[in-house]
Amino acid sequence: MQNLSETQATVERPLPPKTFHLWLIAVPLLVAIVWSVTGLNITLSRLLDAPGDAWTILRQMIPPAFGEVYERGAVGKVFESVYIAWIGTIIGALISLPLAFLAAHNVAPIWIRSPIRQLFNAIRAVPELILAVVLIPVTGLGAWAGTLAIGLHSIGTLGKWACESIEDIDDGPVEATKACGGKWVNGMRWGVLPQVMPIVSSYWLFRFEINVRASAVLGMIGAGGVGSELVSQLSFRNFPAASAVLLMTMAVVLTIDTISAAVRRRIIKGAEIDEESKNLEAIADLTGIRA
Amino acid sequence: MIKIERVSVTYPGGVEALRDVDLEIEDGEFVVIVGLSGAGKSTLLRVLNGLVPATSGSILVDGTEVVNANSQTLRQVRSKTGMIFQTFNLVNRTNVLNNVLMGRLANVPSWRSTLGLWPAEDKEIAMLALERVGIIDKTYVRASNLSGGQQQRVGIARALAQEPSLMLADEPVAALDPVTSRHVMGDLQKINQDLGITTLVNLHFLDLAKEYGKRLIGLRDGILVYDGDINDVTDETFKEIYGRAITAEDLHAMNEEPPENIGNGK
Amino acid sequence: MNDDPKIPIRPTKPKPRARSFVIALVLLGLTFWAAIKVSFNLSTFWEVWSNPIWAKFWPIPWDWVLTKENTFDPLIETLQIAVASTLVGCLLALPVSFAMSSLTTPNKVVYFFSRSIMNLVRAVPDLFWAKLLVTAIGIGAFAGAWSLTIFSLAVMVKLFSETVDAADPKPLEAARSSGAKHLPAVRTGVLPTVFPSYVAYSLYIFELNIRASVVLGLVGAGGVGRVIETQRQFFRFDRILGLLVIIFVIVWIIEQISVSLRKRLV
Repeated sequence: MQNLSETQATVERPLPPKTFHLWLIAVPLLVAIVWSVTGLNITLSRLLDAPGDAWTILRQMIPPAFGEVYERGAVGKVFESVYIAWIGTIIGALISLPLAFLAAHNVAPIWIRSPIRQLFNAIRAVPELILAVVLIPVTGLGAWAGTLAIGLHSIGTLGKWACESIEDIDDGPVEATKACGGKWVNGMRWGVLPQVMPIVSSYWLFRFEINVRASAVLGMIGAGGVGSELVSQLSFRNFPAASAVLLMTMAVVLTIDTISAAVRRRIIKGAEIDEESKNLEAIADLTGIRA
Repeated sequence: MIKIERVSVTYPGGVEALRDVDLEIEDGEFVVIVGLSGAGKSTLLRVLNGLVPATSGSILVDGTEVVNANSQTLRQVRSKTGMIFQTFNLVNRTNVLNNVLMGRLANVPSWRSTLGLWPAEDKEIAMLALERVGIIDKTYVRASNLSGGQQQRVGIARALAQEPSLMLADEPVAALDPVTSRHVMGDLQKINQDLGITTLVNLHFLDLAKEYGKRLIGLRDGILVYDGDINDVTDETFKEIYGRAITAEDLHAMNEEPPENIGNGK
Repeated sequence: MNDDPKIPIRPTKPKPRARSFVIALVLLGLTFWAAIKVSFNLSTFWEVWSNPIWAKFWPIPWDWVLTKENTFDPLIETLQIAVASTLVGCLLALPVSFAMSSLTTPNKVVYFFSRSIMNLVRAVPDLFWAKLLVTAIGIGAFAGAWSLTIFSLAVMVKLFSETVDAADPKPLEAARSSGAKHLPAVRTGVLPTVFPSYVAYSLYIFELNIRASVVLGLVGAGGVGRVIETQRQFFRFDRILGLLVIIFVIVWIIEQISVSLRKRLV
């Protein structure tokens, strides 16, 4: 047996192609790191102290003071967040559904669908928190401001998702209602709605899951819900209470995620939503970006 | 030399892929294994380098026990065993050289291969391997831009770059058209003759086996039903392996089969 | 058609199941209850427009807005937070994602732990992280950068580990069959395939972070949000509106650049 490395090369070796140089990426990246680090006043000592500081606080958070926050009515606050998310989702769903029909290219004329699409995009571009900042002076502090912010913001995403599912439908039934002499509205009601309702309602649920998190955050600026409770416990540096609030929020968020995901699976049965792309959009939506 | 004794493989689902197989293969042999799909051909090759663990029995590859071997021993055996796959198993997004260099992984320190800093001598071995399969001009081409036949030659070069003493080819031509199949089989045969690497090839059809093989092994339902010279194969043997009489169609099946472009355009 | 009018054959409409009826009723009751709890008020929808507070949003004081200290310095801080946290978060996400994917995880323990920790991290809303870190390590951009790092890590790991899950396992099998150790096998067999998605996702995370870093200041974690928060307390909504306009223009420009880069990658 002969090893390959003992054989002789007989052909000339091809030259590696001139590739695009690594430093073209590496140098700007390095510059970006240096620039951002200097700007943030990140010194080595701060960097090294940070984990220690975080650890000190983490230690103080155990054990969580569930009894104390329960007496302060934190459970009610957590549920308030859920209510805000629920009503916000319903507002978003009810307003976005008819709009989605006017925005889908296969059922609506261009003069109506393009302004509505722009409306969806504009709404999606503004984070809920910013909406709440603007709404609070108008409606006053409290849950209603948060509900409106979430409702408004949900119109953007829910409208876009519903519009996309309407565009994906089979056109046959719509044609059939037309052939029967039905009006546009009849075509939508009997030709389109039954086809899109399962997927659209599962989007509503999915949006509800996201809205629960969003409404918890909204409380931090006074728009109702558990966020305010966390902020006040943390500013009093009452860490056991803060961790109790945090754990209660996590428990509710995870429970709702699990239940909602199970219901969504039953609604759709087989026809999975493209979770990855919707996730992208949903995350995008927490901050209001267009993917 | 390979010594297989009473080897059985039962998959977690309960499927018995190999039953009590005994086999001895001398250094430098060119062995063709035939059988229907699911007869255990693939499993037989994969127990040899431990990609599939044997349920019982003993496998000695150049004196090293493979059954129940620890991961370090297994890596050692694998580094001396080249494998060629039906679906080529190339990394499509990178160039041919990087694919062939994967054959050097066991010989290069982890930090070097992880950072992509391959030693010059390993690069040269990869080039020699590419030279041997005649596609050195494609060294810096992306693997996905090659034809199916060229991709399989990259697969062979990758296995060769390991400087193996044993070469396992799992249906290497099943995804190729008849003309390319003969080229690839020719390459394998030439490597076996020139470098003296023991070669085991799985094939679906007998005609190619007859053309290139010396020794033939027939498997049926995980049982070794034939082991002998390829020229002694009779209609009876065929019946035993395939469970029915040979027809003209079987012999020409390769030519009738439309080429599957598994490796193309992906 | 039925000729005899005396025998009308009409199927009865299936009755809705009692269970669905109960569920509908419960949901409706819950909705009413929730509506009361959030002081649902339909009249807001028209009263909102006549609210005198809107006058406070106009006119935008551009001479105040378009200054270095009021807008541009905080905006630069926002950008720095986003850049730093994207870089750190995405770099950390690379090994974590590989540990969390069933295809590339080194072992079950690592797989299980990384999954559970990441699920817990994601169960906490992002601005809660910011507030926690502000309390732990002090008000300012440093805490903001940390919280966005955690946020980017969580999101990136979720997206990227799914990509790794879906990657072609065959090149990995080829790498393992050549006797490679775990890390080099993953590096050469899987990374080239998923790397373009990794870069695309990183850019995407950068876009998210730019948006998120705008609102971080509302909880004291630095950046331009801090200015919004202060002006909010002075009821200077005209200034806030001006800030928002500038923010959205700049964010939009950065986003367009990033989106066009991402489109080239995929």
